Amino acid sequence: MKLKFDEITLDNGLKIIAEHNPNLETIAFGYFVNTGSRDERSEISGVSHFLEHMMFKGTQKRSPEDINREFDEIGANYNAYTNKEHTVYYGAALREKSSELIDILTDMMRPALRENDFDLEKNVILEEIAMYEDRPDFKVFDIGMEHFYNGHSLGNSVLGSSQSIKDLKIGQMRDYFEKRYASDNLYCVVAGNYDWDEIIEQITKASSSWAIQNSLRSYPKLNFNNENKIIKDKKLNRSHVALFSEGVAAQDDKRYAAAILASLLGGGSGRLYWALTDKGLVDSASLGHDISDQTGAFVGYISADPKELDNVLDIYFDVLAKTDDITNDEWARAQRKIASSTMLRSETAFSRLMSLGRNYLYNRNYKTINSTVDKILNTNLLEAKEILEKKPFENMSTIILSP
Amino acid sequence: MSTSINQTSLDNGLTVIHQEMPWLSSVSFTILLPYGASHDPKGYEGATSVLHDWLFRGANGLSSKEISNSLDSLGTRRGGGTGKEASTFSGSCLLSSFDESLKLFAMSLIKPNLDNSEFNSARLLAEQELESLQDSPSQLLFKQLSKEYFGSSHRNSSYGTAQGLSNLSAEFLKELAKKHLSPKGAILAVAGGIKNNDLIETVRKYFSDWQGSEAINNELRLNPVKQSHLIQESSQVHIALAYPAVSAKEKGWYENALAISVLSGGMGARLFSEVREKRGLVYSVSAFSRVLKNHGYTMAYAGTTPEKADETIEVLTNELRNISNGVNQNELERARIGLLSQMVMQAESTGSKASTLANDYYLLARNRSPEEIKTALNEISLEQLNDFLSSYKPEFRILSLGPKEIKKVNL
Repeated sequence: MKLKFDEITLDNGLKIIAEHNPNLETIAFGYFVNTGSRDERSEISGVSHFLEHMMFKGTQKRSPEDINREFDEIGANYNAYTNKEHTVYYGAALREKSSELIDILTDMMRPALRENDFDLEKNVILEEIAMYEDRPDFKVFDIGMEHFYNGHSLGNSVLGSSQSIKDLKIGQMRDYFEKRYASDNLYCVVAGNYDWDEIIEQITKASSSWAIQNSLRSYPKLNFNNENKIIKDKKLNRSHVALFSEGVAAQDDKRYAAAILASLLGGGSGRLYWALTDKGLVDSASLGHDISDQTGAFVGYISADPKELDNVLDIYFDVLAKTDDITNDEWARAQRKIASSTMLRSETAFSRLMSLGRNYLYNRNYKTINSTVDKILNTNLLEAKEILEKKPFENMSTIILSP
Repeated sequence: MSTSINQTSLDNGLTVIHQEMPWLSSVSFTILLPYGASHDPKGYEGATSVLHDWLFRGANGLSSKEISNSLDSLGTRRGGGTGKEASTFSGSCLLSSFDESLKLFAMSLIKPNLDNSEFNSARLLAEQELESLQDSPSQLLFKQLSKEYFGSSHRNSSYGTAQGLSNLSAEFLKELAKKHLSPKGAILAVAGGIKNNDLIETVRKYFSDWQGSEAINNELRLNPVKQSHLIQESSQVHIALAYPAVSAKEKGWYENALAISVLSGGMGARLFSEVREKRGLVYSVSAFSRVLKNHGYTMAYAGTTPEKADETIEVLTNELRNISNGVNQNELERARIGLLSQMVMQAESTGSKASTLANDYYLLARNRSPEEIKTALNEISLEQLNDFLSSYKPEFRILSLGPKEIKKVNL
């Protein structure tokens, strides 16, 4: 399958990157903004995510209803998400609807941010916060990250708190928008079947008023908290445990080794699965590796019967302590598993859009599917041993939410 | 870039459905067997899902771990699960791994080890998952709503019950396996970069020896309309409801799909717009179709904080009822293009393609081509849709969960 890569930087600083696949009948298009809860001060906690909602609330030429209606009129699949470092707006549609899709999403990037819409949408955000309150498997991570990152902005909650959202003013959101959504802090990403010349022409025109801001992200020193924390909540039935330790950054070449290692230990059929889930001792016990901008973390999760928790934690840490015996066979299996799912994920325009955009935000480069797969298959077990030499699992920060 | 759908029947009763996607080097497959939670014998709720897990815990003398390691080495992603009427076993892999992967799946279905010690682990895991459900109010709610809606064994959920799981034994499940593991009524659907001849040769190699008895159809009954509430400490009140709609074989199938899309297709659809955008009552609200072989129904969900629960259920049920007063041309056009472009987008992934092929054949005993669906949707006029909707009176079974009772509405 031969795919073509296109890229250009417009005069206003906006970068467009694209991967062309002539076999598809669809296009996926998105804006990847280099901003998230780690870029918030405490008095505006939750503003990145709240702003993401407000971006759907209309522009100078579109009402809130217009945006949703016009997306629906072209049969698009569209949405947005916010995490600690990124805010992403995306849509996928049939190829013949490309120009409408691009028109709506590009217009959305310069929103009206009207105060009455802001007041109404506050209710929706407060409902979203309440919804996650009923999800202990989510909540334990929100509490856990704040604890582990220990005052660093990577511990900031994406949703914010009910109080921070109630206190937020529209002026604070407008200021944040001006700084963070400048043309040099967001990237336009395209995947699927498109006409490159038409894309450039349309976006150049639609973004002509956008300007550069030179907004920078700050990188305060990391100072992890490895102490344990127990929170009691008597209405729970299970113990939910989040575990953290330092990992590898999104820009570090060792991230492939970290991902393979985490999968071997804590993926779907990894060592923790056989030691705990397969035997029915827990309903979930996993370990993953999360990359971030200039840092990374190994992140674990357990859901267990509170009466069995001590025993389960002993087994969990025991598995992670015994990594000397990883064989080349076991390593190769984990490599192939990840390489194959990378290939399988690449079928649709939408999944390519996400891979292209996420990688670009971190590394400002393009990776073909094949080069990613090659990289995974060429990652040596010795690279994992280097990571293990730092003993990342010896003293994991353990946060327990339990009845 | 649509290719034709091939259908082949093996002598033992297995139906193979295939669609080639020649530009891809990946292949996905779904094996659908026509037994599910509704086939759990009374007092043994959870049996089919424990069996589902047990089957992949070793086959043909290979251990659970050996099978799993082989699939990992092949880079095969696997999935599947138990529904009300059917169980699925699915996989995705590169073309070069397809033969070996299908062999392992066939082995697990035809010659499973069914070791007693693995049975104990599978049951324990099912018990853990059932316990875990208590911490997930919205999922728990849908499990309970099924019990309110169905009078027949379709009320069973794949989670089973604590009593049902504890009554199970390895011997009991082995008998159940004999009854249900059969090529008769089974469907193997495959999509991706494999040619039909190559596929059929592979399938014959691994599945021809499979024998078994006829599939069993369950009688389906509904309970009368009812609204009830479960008291549970939670931040939000979770509201779910269900009402009968149209099954895949009935007239009105496409009209019903359009109606659901008008209600809950995109963010401009009625529920999102009225309940969330205009009133700020919820973060999450939606309606969606569920289809069984001879019955179709609609389910809806809204989650809101307790003080807004009465208004939410009022607005939600009013919107669901109001659709019988008709929709306008613009709504029809949006729903139509929404469904058509969904179809094209899903068809670009081998996994969703294979699962659609299997489901379609299960429901209709044939496959609809994209052109057939496109024509059918395009032919529906506004008048025709509104005619269908005017006779549409939802009869609600409502269940809510939260710290206190909520307003009773007309059912």
